[in-house]
Amino acid sequence: MATDKTNLQLVVNGILNENPIFRLVLSMCPAVGISTTVMNGFMLGIAVFFVQVCSSCTIALFKNVIHPRIRIPTYTLTIATWVTVIDMILAAYLPEAYARMGIFIKLIVAFAIITMRLEMFASKESVTASFWDGIGMGLGFMFGMMALGFVRELLGMGTILGYDVLGFKPLLFFVLPLAGFFCVGLMMAFFNYIEIVYKRARRA
Amino acid sequence: MKNILTIIFRLTVACLLAGLVMGIAFIATNKAKKHNMHVHEHKVMLSLLGYSAKNPAPESVAMHPVYRYLVGEGEELATGYLLPLRDGAFSFVTIDLAGAFVAQTPVALAVEKAREAEDRSQAISAAIGVEKTLRYADQTILVTNGGKRTAYLLPGKFPGFKTFIAAMLALDQNFTILGVEIMEHEEDPGLGGEIVQNYFKKQFKGKPLETVKKLEVVKTPLPEEYRQALEADKSGLKAEEVARIEEQYKDGDIYALTGATISSRSVTNGVKAMVKKFAYRLAILDRVLVEQHIATPF
Repeated sequence: MATDKTNLQLVVNGILNENPIFRLVLSMCPAVGISTTVMNGFMLGIAVFFVQVCSSCTIALFKNVIHPRIRIPTYTLTIATWVTVIDMILAAYLPEAYARMGIFIKLIVAFAIITMRLEMFASKESVTASFWDGIGMGLGFMFGMMALGFVRELLGMGTILGYDVLGFKPLLFFVLPLAGFFCVGLMMAFFNYIEIVYKRARRA
Repeated sequence: MKNILTIIFRLTVACLLAGLVMGIAFIATNKAKKHNMHVHEHKVMLSLLGYSAKNPAPESVAMHPVYRYLVGEGEELATGYLLPLRDGAFSFVTIDLAGAFVAQTPVALAVEKAREAEDRSQAISAAIGVEKTLRYADQTILVTNGGKRTAYLLPGKFPGFKTFIAAMLALDQNFTILGVEIMEHEEDPGLGGEIVQNYFKKQFKGKPLETVKKLEVVKTPLPEEYRQALEADKSGLKAEEVARIEEQYKDGDIYALTGATISSRSVTNGVKAMVKKFAYRLAILDRVLVEQHIATPF
């Protein structure tokens, strides 16, 4: 049951049609908790990207020897392995980023998006397709996190990537975790609106 | 039954594979990680001594690590110190529990290798004889400026609320606390985790030995002006004002963190014990060094 999409379509699919945050609404806890700045979103996005690609490839490679009864434990084991590897690499080569992100990196094990992608896609498709799907999902997650981080950092602290762009703090509320939900909701509505407009324009 | 067996077999293989991948990653990254920790530790030490990127330590400042061991021979127990000598070699000096000098043995050890715990204890064992048991106790760093002792750095561990808290203490030559830095801890975030905040850890700064010896934790709220002085980087208080307020509180007790009395008390008692024991041990070590004419660079 191979997918009929091309590699490029798989990547775009992850970023737009099935964006993990705005469309699939998965892994909301980290999205809300960490996306306070663009940089945080980017760092976690990178980590999730690697874990997703590595896990997708691993599962796609071994899909025929994974017993169907224990597939979820196997997925968790795979994800946990790659998370540990990423964790060690970050701790060794990016100690400053690790000091801030360390605790969240370990949480990636429990991210719904990765398990869901392994179950829905990688366990049925070829390694190549899973690789591109992983890239799409990882980029989609990174894009979502950075978009959220952009809005929240700009409105909450008046800065972008730590540089002061507004010179004042419009709404401190947006830095708080609670505002993450508002932000996700508003941006979801925005993306849905764009899609409706786009479809209407195409029909006409 | 057959199903169960295949499941067990496949899960085992999967776990072994996962372990292999993680093991490879660990070996590949361990060296860089250790190096990072060392760099971080060095940075913390310098900042505790009041040096920073803007105000770098002068060339004349040198750090001399002294490692303390417990040496057992049968029922007898003694303290052993691995001391750097003036000519770059190492010497292992054992002192019995009453404080009397027992023996001095030269240890063949390269300076870079002294940092690695395993290489170090192997070299000492080879020097004093393998039949004696050797247990690593702690490390002290004696800081000299132009050959004169200026400060002591004490890395140490003490029990916290749930598990151990690793801290680094800096003392001046009169055992007055120069600063406390929490290196590692697992206290509850927002409660005990606040021990890393300036308004708690800076309370120790400037306390002389006599005060530290009877240091207690009080549960009255932290006075507002003291908080502002402790968080001078946030409140923007002037340096002379900060010095005046710190002088006023320097003989006082430690104000407990709200909702984290146990963590506050653990850190206070830990610091107290470290300073007291260090002052006691150093007096003995210094006496032995003078009596035996051991030429150390400090």
